[in-house]
Amino acid sequence: MDILPQLILNSIIAGAIYTMIALGFNLIYGTVKFFDLGYGALTAVGGYSVFYFYKTLGINIYASIILGAIIAGIIGFIVYKLVYTPLRTRKSSGMVMLVASLGVLTAAQAIIAIIFTSQFQTLSINAGTERVFTIFGGVITQTQLITLVLGLGIMIVMALVFKFSLFGKAIKAIGDDEEVSKIVGINTNKIIGWVFFIGSAIGGLAGILIGFDTGIEPTMGLSLLLKGVIASIIGGIGNVYGGVLGAFLLAFIENFGIWKISGEWKDAIAFGVLILFLLFRPQGILRR
Amino acid sequence: MTKTAKGILWVIALVIVVLIIVNVSSKGGKNSNTASSTPIKIGFTGPLTGDVANIGQNAKAAVEIAVGEINSAGGINGRQIEMVYEDDRCAGPEGVKAANKLINVDNVTAILGSVCSPATLSFAPIAEKAQTPVLSYCSTAPKISESGDYIFRDVPSDLFQAGFAAKYTYNTLGKRKVAIINVNNDWGLGLKKAFSDAFKALGGQVVLEDGDDPTSKDLRTQMAKVKSSGADLLYFAGFPDGTVAGLKEAKTLKLTQTIFGADAWDDNKIWDSLGSSADGVMYTRVGTNSSDAFKTKMKEKLGNDSIVYCSNYAYDGLKILADAIKTAGTDRTAVKNALYSIKHVNGVSSSLIEFDANGDPKEANYVIDIIKNGKAEIVK
Repeated sequence: MDILPQLILNSIIAGAIYTMIALGFNLIYGTVKFFDLGYGALTAVGGYSVFYFYKTLGINIYASIILGAIIAGIIGFIVYKLVYTPLRTRKSSGMVMLVASLGVLTAAQAIIAIIFTSQFQTLSINAGTERVFTIFGGVITQTQLITLVLGLGIMIVMALVFKFSLFGKAIKAIGDDEEVSKIVGINTNKIIGWVFFIGSAIGGLAGILIGFDTGIEPTMGLSLLLKGVIASIIGGIGNVYGGVLGAFLLAFIENFGIWKISGEWKDAIAFGVLILFLLFRPQGILRR
Repeated sequence: MTKTAKGILWVIALVIVVLIIVNVSSKGGKNSNTASSTPIKIGFTGPLTGDVANIGQNAKAAVEIAVGEINSAGGINGRQIEMVYEDDRCAGPEGVKAANKLINVDNVTAILGSVCSPATLSFAPIAEKAQTPVLSYCSTAPKISESGDYIFRDVPSDLFQAGFAAKYTYNTLGKRKVAIINVNNDWGLGLKKAFSDAFKALGGQVVLEDGDDPTSKDLRTQMAKVKSSGADLLYFAGFPDGTVAGLKEAKTLKLTQTIFGADAWDDNKIWDSLGSSADGVMYTRVGTNSSDAFKTKMKEKLGNDSIVYCSNYAYDGLKILADAIKTAGTDRTAVKNALYSIKHVNGVSSSLIEFDANGDPKEANYVIDIIKNGKAEIVK
């Protein structure tokens, strides 16, 4: 069998997952300008919410997924209100925000592990019986295809919102200068609250889809988040298209990188690319 | 008073309070383990949380049973056993923390642990230096044989396991070309080397060697490489999480190779989450000499009948340590010496356990499981 089509598909699948993570991360970062590590934990929040609704309570799959994404969004919003808002009104430095968000990530992981144990869980009811599509000899599953379509769909919606709606323009304005936005009459607190809700819901949705594809565990967030961050940085941080471009670029580099060498090199390759970009093109491929 | 001075006073006061509490609660502190009526402390390490928590919790239950049996029969020379359980999360850094606490704070006579080779290997030098006997009940990495005079295990090294798997796949299944995927840690690397050496020695060919990071759950590209490698066998030395992801992906890619794994797959969690899609997958696991009495007690304790084989070795391990302490007292070096001459018969793990000069068991027996209708069954 020719391996090339599968390699390309694998890269697209991984790219679709990174896209989802990068989109939510980029939205939050682009607005509030700090690295929200707590965002990583929301993938697990989404995944475990669905695990609870769908597998434990037996609620309808689509309702569970929507509920899971909403819960991730609400938790993201609550964290913003309880943790980040007081720090921001105090004009805390980026370092303080980073440490606070690391605290959020660690605490959230610990709480999830206490409630659901640290066991790796799959969300799909019967593994391996999923519908599979064959494209040029390569294989992609239904879940993976949905992830891809949703990722690109969210990208398009976000791009349209930014371009045409007042809400999107307000977000952009806050990202450019929060103080001035306030002066011209934008309710920045309300808008940023919404940004956290939407960004977190996207992160939760990503966690849910990963749960159906492979599985979930409480500590899944950090490595996913890091991949999302790499994608955002190499693509152009704060830029919607940049995040997506970076996600697919990263996925292709990772998967083709381990074509001829052993798979444990994947992370070394991914972070090597990050360092190269930070050194030679820190603004990323596309500027904001 | 200045603010700084006030702050310093507060901290000093707090430290004093903590010291008093610690002193009162430990009732005399470090030397408690030598007095003749106080309990004998034995440490236990294992993954009580995390990826392989299932194995750690299972083993802990078995140890609790063994301790209960010894204590209710009057203890060791009239002294009760007190276990100190530590969680090492199957990882090196946490293993070191757990062992340091057991050795320095709890002052244990011996350590029973750990499950995971990376954890055991990480704290072995510390225990060796502190002259504290360690008996691992589940760590199978070959490197453990050389890790010191005080380091024992009652489960056999992977050298046996991989050699057994190589012979079975080559001779019985008639496989000639193997692709190997291993999880990139001590356990996986040890198995990869041992299997590939044994398979090549038989005349087989290794067409692909690939690996995966222990935290990664994406093996799609590795599996695609296996599919196009021309191998007729995939030897997949994976940990449970990576295995669930990897086998799912292998199924999606419709891999035609026979998939063969190692003892980490002796975990119902994997087969429950994969269901019948993993049918035909095989793996080696260490055989046991389980008794009905042990099974019943474990069932009472766990509420289900899934016993990980490590638990049998943990149960016997605790009994072996107790025997050694019985003859040697609580001096750690004497306990170590006693372990080398121990002869444990009719245990629930193996009918006879004796240690060789490396602290490894002299005998090893293995069985092969195959997945049928989503459940593991013994082959033959």
